[in-house]
Amino acid sequence: MTVAGVLAAEAQRRREGFRRALLWSTGALALLWFTAAQIGLNPAALVRGVPFMLDFFGRMFPPDLAHLALLRDATVETVQIAVWGTLIAIVLSIPLALLGARNTTPHALVFHATRMFLNALRSINELVFALIFVAAVGLGPFAGVLAIALHATGMLAKFCAEEVEGVDRGPIEAMRATGAGRLQVILFGIVPQVVPAFVSYSVYRFDVSIRAATILGLVGAGGLGFSLIKTMKLFLYHQTATCILVIFVLVAVSDWLCARIRARIL
Amino acid sequence: MAVGVSAPGIDLLEDLRARKRWRLHHIALAGAIVAFLAWCADGVNLRPGEVAGALPAIGEYFARMWPPKWEFSEVLWKPALETLYIALWGNVIALFIGLPLGLCAAGNVVRSRLVRNTAKAILNLLRSISELIWAVFFVAAVGLGPFPGALALGVNFGGILGRLYAEALENIDPGPVEALAATGASRLQIIAYAMLPQALPQFVTYNLYWFEVGVRSATVLGMVGAGGIGFELVTTIRLFEWRETGVVLLLILAMVTVIDLASTYIRGRIYGS
Amino acid sequence: MVLEIRNVSKTYPGAAQPALSDVSISVPAGQFLVILGPSGAGKSSLMRCINRLVEPTSGQVFFENKPIMGDLRAIRRQFGMVFQQFNLVKRLSVLTNVLSGRLGYRSVARSLFYSFPESDKQIAAECLARVNMEHKAFQRADTLSGGEQQRVAIARALAQQPKVILADEPVASLDPKIARQVLGYLRQVAKELGITVLCNLHQVDYAREFAERIVGMSRGRVVFDGLAAQLNEEVLNRIYYATAEEQAA
Repeated sequence: MTVAGVLAAEAQRRREGFRRALLWSTGALALLWFTAAQIGLNPAALVRGVPFMLDFFGRMFPPDLAHLALLRDATVETVQIAVWGTLIAIVLSIPLALLGARNTTPHALVFHATRMFLNALRSINELVFALIFVAAVGLGPFAGVLAIALHATGMLAKFCAEEVEGVDRGPIEAMRATGAGRLQVILFGIVPQVVPAFVSYSVYRFDVSIRAATILGLVGAGGLGFSLIKTMKLFLYHQTATCILVIFVLVAVSDWLCARIRARIL
Repeated sequence: MAVGVSAPGIDLLEDLRARKRWRLHHIALAGAIVAFLAWCADGVNLRPGEVAGALPAIGEYFARMWPPKWEFSEVLWKPALETLYIALWGNVIALFIGLPLGLCAAGNVVRSRLVRNTAKAILNLLRSISELIWAVFFVAAVGLGPFPGALALGVNFGGILGRLYAEALENIDPGPVEALAATGASRLQIIAYAMLPQALPQFVTYNLYWFEVGVRSATVLGMVGAGGIGFELVTTIRLFEWRETGVVLLLILAMVTVIDLASTYIRGRIYGS
Repeated sequence: MVLEIRNVSKTYPGAAQPALSDVSISVPAGQFLVILGPSGAGKSSLMRCINRLVEPTSGQVFFENKPIMGDLRAIRRQFGMVFQQFNLVKRLSVLTNVLSGRLGYRSVARSLFYSFPESDKQIAAECLARVNMEHKAFQRADTLSGGEQQRVAIARALAQQPKVILADEPVASLDPKIARQVLGYLRQVAKELGITVLCNLHQVDYAREFAERIVGMSRGRVVFDGLAAQLNEEVLNRIYYATAEEQAA
């Protein structure tokens, strides 16, 4: 190619690229326009809502710090829900992950059934589970724990299954060559390779669970969410601010803790 | 320990035995963890008897959802699509909020500590408040419907994505950045030519993943009047119409599965090239 | 003299020893100067003190008889830099990488849209042709081999139409045959365009083969300044093996 050739090719590529970009962006804009109309995207309404939002924020300050004492129990409950929700998820996801991984599942049917089951657990929001469980076992944090546990199991087990499928083959073959049985290969060959990522992701799931646990109260499944919604509906905005502050601090602490733990593991 | 000349094997065995012995602080730690867990369990009314009783109860409720009332799905298409649109616009808004804030929060993009810390603080505030709470707030501000839902998702995910963008930017290879600085490029040019191109694949991955999460989150926004299939879901549960609930759950499952597959396909196309 | 380095010293914050101690070098235009020394000798620090990627603790650098200060952008675009790790933007095409060498001359607004004037594209294509890489102009930079990437990096430096090229260990990551090819391109192109080259190397045989003049550095000091032919055992000892006390003597 000569210099002139390069320049000509560049010009042509630029034209083609421009055409393609135009096509894609027109399509994307059309999609966005259509969906915006469908959901009633209305910047004017947003602007009109600004005075309300400012008023809301204004009424939140200063936060009613006396309210903190009342929130103590709810905060503790939120953490407890997250702890046991994640713990149950960890326990349940280990066998489910092994059943849901191509290289450790006993049978193809079991594999597919497990994967479908896990997908079901993953797609359903914790709040939806909470709604159903509140009906089944009554109001209170117990329903919340189960809700978090099931959803987290779905996420954790699928992640773990993918890790199990992605293990290094070498050590596995070496173990088989020594005559180890199937279970031994899993326990000594596969599990050790997967443990660091699994633990790290579990810690991440705990972080997510704390966040989820803060709103379970909306449906009566325990935690800070109930207080938050109640104070908002009663226009007790100073107390709402306290709630938000507590949630913010809780999530920040959980974030920091989880980041430190995960850094130590990896 | 043996002094002077000693067979190495003996020292090793002694060492191993020493490790296997339970130290006092190990026992104390284990005990503390068990006590903590017991205290948590008590706080949430988690008792073995309760759990044993709960499982059949839950099973019974799920059994009531079978067979699903398929006719009900007729009224569900519009809310289901609405859920997807909320997730879509939620991510678009999140991009517009998260990208500038993420750029400001990245240590290698912006020098000023003040700007960076302010951006990080804003992002943290946005992400700590659950999207459901934002939804309640926005419904009060702009009225019922899917619009406040998209705003809520956008604001919350903006915080999440912004932080992820900042991390991705901070993890790029600094070599090309130095090279471009050496050619005399200005700060903005360096960001555009050396930083963003490197971080772009990560950005795309994050956006695809969080769109998926967005669909799942959007399914419950209807509970507080912020649009999507959540309203139908809550209503059927509150009216004990379990067979209809079953249909809604299956529809949600189908939606999420399709999105999951599409996202995997797109990711394959991007990384394959 | 196109470049005058006068009494430049650099101590990094928190470091026990200075990285550079009272370095003075005068470089006439068009020379191919090799700075030879072991790693840690201060070669990279010296280079970065010239184009101000690093600020010297004391001393001055004069470019075309004017001290280097003020508008860094205008100064830096006259210095092309080539790195050991090539430092191309992997996801961008070869041509775009070379074009990015022109950024110092372009207004920020237009360049943000990845739009360059025709004249820039002409320059970029010519620079690519000089290193015989024009046939890969549209490939992504990370699809190229090490030697090819370095040639593109040289083209990027050339695109700046610089007066001086600073090459910091340009071939340390390449195997001998490719390394010689790259150094060959560097020397040839510099000669054709009248560009002064400062090249950091730690390999003695490359220095002998390619340099007009060699400056030997050790522990932040200049310990030799002369022609390649003058590089004998005693000089090499001074550069590579002498202890700090022996050097001070």
